[in-house]
Amino acid sequence: MFHIPSGILQDMIAHARELAPHECCGILSGKNQSVAETYRITNILANMSDGDLSRFEGAKLSDLQRLSPEERADIAFQMDAREMAMAQRDIRSKELNLIGFYHSHTFSPARPSQTDITIAMEFEGYRQKLNLPEPLHLIVSLEHTDKPDIRAYRIQDSQATEVQIQEISE
Amino acid sequence: MIKVRIPTPLRPMTGGKNEVEIAGNSVAEIIDNLSSAHPGIKERICDEQGEVRRFINIYVNEEDIRFLTGKETLLKDGDEMSIIPAIAGGR
Repeated sequence: MFHIPSGILQDMIAHARELAPHECCGILSGKNQSVAETYRITNILANMSDGDLSRFEGAKLSDLQRLSPEERADIAFQMDAREMAMAQRDIRSKELNLIGFYHSHTFSPARPSQTDITIAMEFEGYRQKLNLPEPLHLIVSLEHTDKPDIRAYRIQDSQATEVQIQEISE
Repeated sequence: MIKVRIPTPLRPMTGGKNEVEIAGNSVAEIIDNLSSAHPGIKERICDEQGEVRRFINIYVNEEDIRFLTGKETLLKDGDEMSIIPAIAGGR
């Protein structure tokens, strides 16, 4: 069970709505199983060159190649690496931990896609070497615009398992 | 020699290897020498101005080179350099 202050849940939903139809993305920090802060990270996908898209694989890559750069950010996100590094440094300086990553699904449910799972597993391969804790993966769904849904998952061995989150009122 | 960790998307360029040993004294030299051994890989890591692409972080041991001295960061025998794309995903 992870505890997330209601203000942070509202901020993630606000972020998703501000960027819709593009996907938003960000980082959560905290201590133990309590989230303390969010970092909004720029989704740079619309500014990536065609060559850079090979960072994605298979069907997702084919889908992205068919779309205009602007449309690509509607179906995927790529965090700005510099902002991600700055956030990680700030988290460390506050003696907090990286708790997880969030992103939005503008038109689909709050469930990890195959791309989410593939890239989460890719990150698993690096993060142990970099001594980072296992992250949660949160998805903000705007599929039902008046009823946004946020769900959290652990992704291990290419399987996503939902983790309960409890809203903490402030 | 420096152990260089290759991210999944670039492994086709290193014959599938996830780690390669490369000689060099700085991050910039390692990238150049990596590209001599595996042609084309530098263009995937750096843009036309030679800067590391916006979706890639490079770590020396456990520290991002942005918080060291960037591509001029010096390495010594036994150090490890990791090329790591930032988190991505999509519906």
